[in-house]
Amino acid sequence: MNERESEADVLEACRQGDRAAFHLLYESHKDRVYSIALHFGGDPSMARDVTQQVFLKLFTTIGQFRHDSEFTTWLYRITANACIDEQRKRKRFVPFSPALEVSQMAAKGSQEERYDRKQMADAVRAAIAELSPKLRLPILLKYVEGLSYEEIAEALGCSVGTVSSRLNRGHKMLARKLSHLRGQFAAGE
Amino acid sequence: MKMFTRHVAKQLSAYLHGELSKEKARRTGEHLLRCERCRREYDDIKLGAQLAERLPLAQAPAEMWSEIESLLDAQSRERVYESPARRFDLSRRWYLVAAASAALVFIIIFGARLFRNVEPTPKNEIAQHEPTQRGESSSREKTMRASWEVESLAGKIRVGGETLSGTGRLAVGDSLETENASRAKIKVANIGEVELEPNSRVRLIETTQIEHRLALDRGTMRAKINAPPRLFFVNTPSAEAIDLGCAYTLEVDDTGRSFLHVTAGWVMLARDGREAYVPIGAMCETRPSTGPGTPYFDDAPRRLRESLSRFDFEYGGDDALQEVLRYARPRDSFTLWHLLQRVNEVERNFVLDRMIALVGLPEGVTRDGVLNLDPQMLELWKDELDTVWF
Repeated sequence: MNERESEADVLEACRQGDRAAFHLLYESHKDRVYSIALHFGGDPSMARDVTQQVFLKLFTTIGQFRHDSEFTTWLYRITANACIDEQRKRKRFVPFSPALEVSQMAAKGSQEERYDRKQMADAVRAAIAELSPKLRLPILLKYVEGLSYEEIAEALGCSVGTVSSRLNRGHKMLARKLSHLRGQFAAGE
Repeated sequence: MKMFTRHVAKQLSAYLHGELSKEKARRTGEHLLRCERCRREYDDIKLGAQLAERLPLAQAPAEMWSEIESLLDAQSRERVYESPARRFDLSRRWYLVAAASAALVFIIIFGARLFRNVEPTPKNEIAQHEPTQRGESSSREKTMRASWEVESLAGKIRVGGETLSGTGRLAVGDSLETENASRAKIKVANIGEVELEPNSRVRLIETTQIEHRLALDRGTMRAKINAPPRLFFVNTPSAEAIDLGCAYTLEVDDTGRSFLHVTAGWVMLARDGREAYVPIGAMCETRPSTGPGTPYFDDAPRRLRESLSRFDFEYGGDDALQEVLRYARPRDSFTLWHLLQRVNEVERNFVLDRMIALVGLPEGVTRDGVLNLDPQMLELWKDELDTVWF
């Protein structure tokens, strides 16, 4: 059974109300949904709320999923909407917190390397948090979930051209904000 | 200008990600070899992408699944009186058909009292909708149709011809009416709610997995919907309001005119191919003779709004259009953007000139493209303008 057939089976089981299938689906996608929410809002409590909302919404409306688009596209459309709604509810953007703990920080390497990686990750997260939401979401969908431009367009309800334009602007703004790190990449990092 | 269009700056991210066609990628690569300016841009794009790749993946808190399960359990408990008809829909197998039939007999025997507590699910709704308007309906008939929970918020309301002061059900085909001093709340399946102001009347037209539809015949309703776009619809005498993930107030007067005011997200108004996209903070009037007018922000100058109304609905022609253009502020480029697609070719030049004077023409959008109503350019311009609009 290939991956696609397997996912189709899990989705069908979810439609039938199978709680174990829900859990499987949750396990497959929870970290990426949480990461998008965390990097979008910069606040773990908001990320937690958004992730809960996304999966509750997913499980209660899975009967409406019509297979005319990829499941991940549908999931990330719900995620993007939940991020935007939650941000509106909280009225103001929660400032970036440098104390966020993320899994990659426990990656292998010397203490110095880990420190450098953490510094870099913090700088990137801070720079992404300063992007406007319309530039931030395509960047997150591209680099956290690895969606194609077409999938991002479908998830955000805009054209592929718009995605391309927003990613272009997002990349340029990141490069401008973090131009002092250019040397690290040029040195082959 | 000719030189400028040969540059490839706009497509460098797509080039980097392998999202261009072979031919476009080849041309972009060749251009990069020749053009230092675009090469510098490409270096920035590459740096931005390399940085974004360093974005770490976070782990969802371990206890989150148990929290979600608890919430799912709580939702399940709310639906403890699950409709037998749902089981009928979940499977086509013959023995479930028999079970559902038996359950139906049970419901008929024990009357509508039990069924009033049932929260219908999208599954049972799809099999039972009845899209035509009906008159009074018996309790037995109601048990056969999907329904939404309704509640009187003040005074007495009429649901399906019966007076109600507490909670009840609004079945497909039935109407809900409020009086001078009464108000009501309607739970829209599992996707949101609608509040109905005094002297209003709605009808439930349809409720299925893919479409929930009300008709607002008169009065005022406030909708708050949390669902994928294009799942909740409201018919009015002059247009159809299509939810794109939002909250809004919709009012219909005695002549069939409607007024939409969006308080969150976007709503689309449509009739006979005429469309208006109305975002948060914007309004739009519709009339039975014309359909949706041109949307405008609720803080738009009074003179602009009056002129726009004359242009849209009273054959105000060029005079009204010139007034609209004269009083437009940069934020009203939202209204002008819509007007571009509603005016003739001569008028479009005037609208475009005014937009350029107010907000300029962004990179990637050309005068000719706009005048020819190039959909991609209009979309790109709209995208660029949202920092001015919001």
